[in-house]
Amino acid sequence: MNKIKSDAPVSRNPVSIYFKRYWQLYLLLALPMLYLVIFKYIPMVYIQIAFKKYSIVESIWKQKIAGNHGFQYFIQAFSDSDFRRALRNTLVLNLLDLAIGFPIPIIFALLLNELCFKKFKNVVQTIAYMPHFLSWVIIYGLALQLFTPSTGLVNMVITKLGGQTVPFLNDAGHWVWTYVFLGAWQSFGWNSIVYLAAIAGINNELYEAASVDGAGRLSKIWHITLPGIRSTIVLLLIMQIGNILGGTFDRPFALRNNLVISWAEVLPTYIYSHGIKGLQFSLTTAVGFFQSVVGVVFLLLANTISRKLGERGIW
Amino acid sequence: MKKRVVSLMLAAMMMVLAAGCGAKSGNGSASNGGGAADASALGEDGKFAETQHITVEVYDRGNDGGSDPVNNKYTDYIKKGMLDKYNVEVEFVAVPRWTEVEQISNLLAANNAPDVCVTYDIATIETYGNMGGIVDMKDALEANKELLPNLWKHLGETNIYWDQNPETGAIWDIEAVRENQNDVNTFIREDWLKKLNLEVPKTTDDFYKVLCAFKDNADTLLGADASKMIPYSISFDAGYRAKTLTLSFADPKMTDKEYYVNSFDDRGFTIPGVKQGFALLNKWYNEGLIWKDFALYGAGDKTEDDLIKAGYVGAFTHNWDYPFRDGENSIEANIKKFGGDGAQFIAIDPFQDKNGTHTKWISGPVDRKIFFPATNDNILASLLYLDWISTPENIQYLQIGDEGVTHEVGEGGVISIIAAEGNDIQNSGMNIDYTITTNGLKLVDPELTNKSLAYSYAGIDPKLVEDADKIAKTDDRAAKSYHIGSIEAETGMGDPLSQKRDQIIDQAIVAPTADFEKIFDQGMQEYLAAGGQAIIDERKAKWESIHGDKENLD
Repeated sequence: MNKIKSDAPVSRNPVSIYFKRYWQLYLLLALPMLYLVIFKYIPMVYIQIAFKKYSIVESIWKQKIAGNHGFQYFIQAFSDSDFRRALRNTLVLNLLDLAIGFPIPIIFALLLNELCFKKFKNVVQTIAYMPHFLSWVIIYGLALQLFTPSTGLVNMVITKLGGQTVPFLNDAGHWVWTYVFLGAWQSFGWNSIVYLAAIAGINNELYEAASVDGAGRLSKIWHITLPGIRSTIVLLLIMQIGNILGGTFDRPFALRNNLVISWAEVLPTYIYSHGIKGLQFSLTTAVGFFQSVVGVVFLLLANTISRKLGERGIW
Repeated sequence: MKKRVVSLMLAAMMMVLAAGCGAKSGNGSASNGGGAADASALGEDGKFAETQHITVEVYDRGNDGGSDPVNNKYTDYIKKGMLDKYNVEVEFVAVPRWTEVEQISNLLAANNAPDVCVTYDIATIETYGNMGGIVDMKDALEANKELLPNLWKHLGETNIYWDQNPETGAIWDIEAVRENQNDVNTFIREDWLKKLNLEVPKTTDDFYKVLCAFKDNADTLLGADASKMIPYSISFDAGYRAKTLTLSFADPKMTDKEYYVNSFDDRGFTIPGVKQGFALLNKWYNEGLIWKDFALYGAGDKTEDDLIKAGYVGAFTHNWDYPFRDGENSIEANIKKFGGDGAQFIAIDPFQDKNGTHTKWISGPVDRKIFFPATNDNILASLLYLDWISTPENIQYLQIGDEGVTHEVGEGGVISIIAAEGNDIQNSGMNIDYTITTNGLKLVDPELTNKSLAYSYAGIDPKLVEDADKIAKTDDRAAKSYHIGSIEAETGMGDPLSQKRDQIIDQAIVAPTADFEKIFDQGMQEYLAAGGQAIIDERKAKWESIHGDKENLD
């Protein structure tokens, strides 16, 4: 056996060599890690508020355990019809978002990818991104201008054409669709970026080979592009399923009104009105905790299923 | 280059760390019960030896053309006054007027509330008080009575002890004085009545007929804009914005006990009879007499005001002086721009109750509640602030400003407010947001106050104000201080329940008339189950334990 000669003295510890070489990268990583620790991990200490009688002045370690072995607030939540309704609405609206809002950016990315004129493509892409930068309050303002029964532009056109006013915003059934489509409109351009990036990563030779074999556009999309971005799609799908009881606060809060509240009250807005405005911190921490637990369960399930189906999953 | 990037990253990390630590130490010091109010801290000249610093809440109304609510001519006046008199620095903290309850809750929960807080919502104070987050002012108020002559004189024992807890004796908040207890009025376009040769409506039925006439004659009244006609406009808060109508269905001879038991909701939602009022609104809505989009615009939205100002609205119900407020931006001033010089809203009193009277259910002589959060570390300076702001001369200056700029002196010394410009603008009528212990005109000379009231709205015909004031006071019945203390079932229910009430009312009003009964009853049941019933029951039980079988208080 030959011994390998080295100029530098051999370090006894491979870990320290590794760190000596890459410490700058770890330093870069430190900042986001710090963010996670401060804003995500430290607040977890306060999950115990869900099991305690909260008081604003006492340290949380000293607060008394709530009734029913600490589960008082969970029981209270589930016996509250408002909570059950918010739970139903969250599920329904998020599932609709998943069914309608999820595929649209994929289709859009595929279509955009087929465009030949680069300039036109860029313009379309930019216009499609724009709504993402609008706040929901502004979008509701736009929706009011367009959809109110008496002065909304769309309804004025409909009535001028001899039709009946459509209660886009003031009837719960219609509102749900307005909500879902406004959501899809706001985010499809932005969400398509990831897919466009994934498409850009597909080896061009595959398309050339397919052309030689006589494949048309559709079959190239079906056999090359879609399989090429499949892992991205699955990844994003898993993440969205993990968020099935979550979702943003500002969208439902900005878009709702008193007439459609039976379908517009979702868990984030329930937490806001009962927790922050109603000052029931323990109750709403319990609700938030429940939301997270369900989210994690769904995430794990989706991940396991995707791995069973031969995809990589998140981890 | 690489080195620079790395050092930048390091610097950023340090900053994040520093910020994190800063927040922590802020939280830690917050849990003490407020600084003691020891009069010995004052020197012989009545000043603090070292400059003190307090923060004071002020409403931000976000009005067009207004000035910065925390930094303008009037805040400067207060700051200078407090610094000269007591060596106390005052810093104002703006809280949006229309979301004040949420905002002050957020600040309280974050241990970040101003030293002197103000709210209209007693429930917030009680909730935080029960958690130990509010200072009990009783001892400090009583021990320093001599240092606070103006406060004691202005508020009197009535308002200082109004919210005192009958069991513990604690005073978590003191009540500002409402100089004028007027509540709401209904207003109608007088010029439209004249144009259509109609009498001023004197009964509910008359009122309905007038609304129908407005609708049927939209072409005459609005010409090309006829399609925009809104005979009667309400907002999402219809319980308030049709109060003269809905409460005319309540029993005018209702006992104090029954009124108290049902008055957690200040729109009178659970008072027997008001349902009929909402049924009437439902009927009107379905006949196209009420603004179709009323429920789609939330709190603080100016759309409805703009519609009224643009002259599309025939009648509405609002604060007794609403169309007169805001000088050149007032409703009265605006409709003249669009509807000609004759265009004006006048107050009317059409809704008679079953006895033929026009009972107005008004509040007691109380207004905003002033309290100190537990984070207040300078009780004495805060109390001195309240005394300063209750001093007659200071109230007068803040309310009427400088002669020739914000007011003119007329015959017999009568003060009339004129529209100010630029830095002299008052963001709230007569600076009510700064005179936190006072609501309503209060000059040093009480006689002059009475004479000047009608002249206190810039650019408004005093006759309009006088009439509105008279109507608002017709058959009024003021709420009393029931001295019952806090009701546990009300904790945290203020906002969820009033939100629920608005939703039920709105949904019931827009329902097809055949469904009104079902939707309203179902909603009411939901409201009661969500906590409304528990509050009614506890109020009843407490009343009986304190006042026995008395039905009325003296």
